[in-house]
Amino acid sequence: MMATPVRVLGLGNELLGDDAFGILVAHEIQRLAPDLVDVVCTPESGFSLLDYILGAPRLLVVDAIQTGRAEPGTLHEIAEGDLESAPGGSPHFVGLFETLELARKLGLPAPSDVRILAVEAADCLTVGGPMHPAVTDAIPEAVRRIQSLIR
Amino acid sequence: MAEQTRRRIQIDPITRLEGHGKIDIFLDDQGKVERAYFQVPELRGFEKFAEGRPAEEMPQITSRICGVCPTAHHMASTKALDSLYRVGPPAAARKIRELVYSTFMTEDHALHFYILGGPDFVVGPTAPAAERNVLGVIGKVGLEVGLKVIGMRRKLRDLITLVAGKVIHPVLGLPGGVAKPIKPDEQKLFQQTAAEAVEFAQFTLGVFENVVLKNSDYVNLIVSDYFTHRTYYMGLVDKNNRVNFYDGTIRVVSPAGKETANFRADQYLDYVAEHVEPWSYVKFCYLKQVGWKGFVEGDDSGVYCVAPLARLNVADGMATPLAQAAYEQFYATLGGKPVHHTLANHWARVIELLYAAERMRELADDPELTDPNVRTLPTEIPREGIGVVEAPRGTLFHHYQTDERGVIKKANLIVATQNNSARIAMSVDKAAKGLISGAEVSEGLLNMVEMAFRAYDPCHGCATHSLPGSMPLLVRVRNRNGETLTTLRRDSDGRVHRD
Repeated sequence: MMATPVRVLGLGNELLGDDAFGILVAHEIQRLAPDLVDVVCTPESGFSLLDYILGAPRLLVVDAIQTGRAEPGTLHEIAEGDLESAPGGSPHFVGLFETLELARKLGLPAPSDVRILAVEAADCLTVGGPMHPAVTDAIPEAVRRIQSLIR
Repeated sequence: MAEQTRRRIQIDPITRLEGHGKIDIFLDDQGKVERAYFQVPELRGFEKFAEGRPAEEMPQITSRICGVCPTAHHMASTKALDSLYRVGPPAAARKIRELVYSTFMTEDHALHFYILGGPDFVVGPTAPAAERNVLGVIGKVGLEVGLKVIGMRRKLRDLITLVAGKVIHPVLGLPGGVAKPIKPDEQKLFQQTAAEAVEFAQFTLGVFENVVLKNSDYVNLIVSDYFTHRTYYMGLVDKNNRVNFYDGTIRVVSPAGKETANFRADQYLDYVAEHVEPWSYVKFCYLKQVGWKGFVEGDDSGVYCVAPLARLNVADGMATPLAQAAYEQFYATLGGKPVHHTLANHWARVIELLYAAERMRELADDPELTDPNVRTLPTEIPREGIGVVEAPRGTLFHHYQTDERGVIKKANLIVATQNNSARIAMSVDKAAKGLISGAEVSEGLLNMVEMAFRAYDPCHGCATHSLPGSMPLLVRVRNRNGETLTTLRRDSDGRVHRD
């Protein structure tokens, strides 16, 4: 497979209500622009994300989060530099940013440009639960934003 | 008074912060901690979701629910299907299952030691927060060790993929066997990687000995009263009472180390019961024959503990030679069996890592492994099935009841963290009582409290996979009337806010 410069990484779990968001958006991106991007989806977290972030210069992550400070369906766009570097935040839960830093420190081919598009979720804990209508409605807008980031 | 404050929590849920771990600390009139409560988000609705689905789908469905230990769910579910259809796997299939499972345990335990537990011990509990992370661990053990960990992990995952299709969604287990046999060239790959894994595990034990055991501050912390509880222990053992992750009977020992039960998976309801508290969604498991006496330790309290330390405590030893030597050193150093120090879980996990790698090597060398007969076709009418394995985080039960077509009527899971939930709550309470006086709460509390529950490696993965991966944590200090005095909130971006 030829390496594509942009990878879309859909994070989430299709069985857990709004947590399906990242996966659904990533699948839609793949359907619309199969040649432009390399699309990967996983329900994994933390250090396991290492397998999915290496080998693409640009990484676009789609996920669902709960900040508790926005209405469900609100889209949050975050660039890596927007957050204080995560190491130091928690000694225990190794997240995407720690994994990125670790990969860079070890000289592995980590992306240099990382952006995250996350939807404010209402419920990611109910197995087989429905998606919140506002979260479902945010899918087309999320797809548009990802497409504009790809170009 | 205590009842009144409990009620207050119940009617005052902060739903806005769902997805956070929550700690509520209640102070008495003197400003001393009366009680601390710890809650984590939990998945809901699994039982209902399972109803009406064919039981054969459960090994796939249950492994999809959790992105942290899918292989453990897959294996417990497969064993529940064996039990449901009353069919045993042929010898080669059983060995393939245990080989894949040992590979998974090796990977998971190694990851925990270097990535999750390492910050507490390799870097050190008192190191500045900015260094207490995986980069700090790598800084201390060296870049080449980091590459070694990543390389080992890669090889172990590749092996699971080779046999089980996907690491994250294995498609290996079927009632009465596995989906495909292992070919001779695949066996060779297992043999090569298993030999490397044993070496890697020995190296890791060496790191633990050099960094932790040679540092008296760390050893003092492990044995300190803050992190010690005299409870019962539960874990799977083989017929010689040695630790086994894949199969065996479930043995229980008392706080004095005496065997009080040794039962088959299908008898679990006679031994394990669940207690409900008004302040938590989590059900607290306890030993039915001892009874629920509250969040207290001792012989009369049914609170028990699972996971690496518990497994070592219930067993008479390890089934492989290198792990057995490490096991003997463990008890000689910590003053005999059972060990009640929660933080000793980290050491026990490294000993289990060595066992998992050695067991992997034994099975990889087994000539029967490549026997093409890997399936016994089920012919019995299904009714009820119960399966158990030792997940990395402790004993995991799957229980299904079906109609005569094998369609699920009722499903129940007891996951590892649930077995430990009462003792985890006690650990958080004890850490809070040891550290807090008055409404002033330092960030040090967050780390101390996290260390108290982190040693259990509790699985919050289902709820907190989201970026950036730091578990959001909310600490509220309240007076006896339930009025909030101080709130400390660490968001998922890692920043701490004080409200």
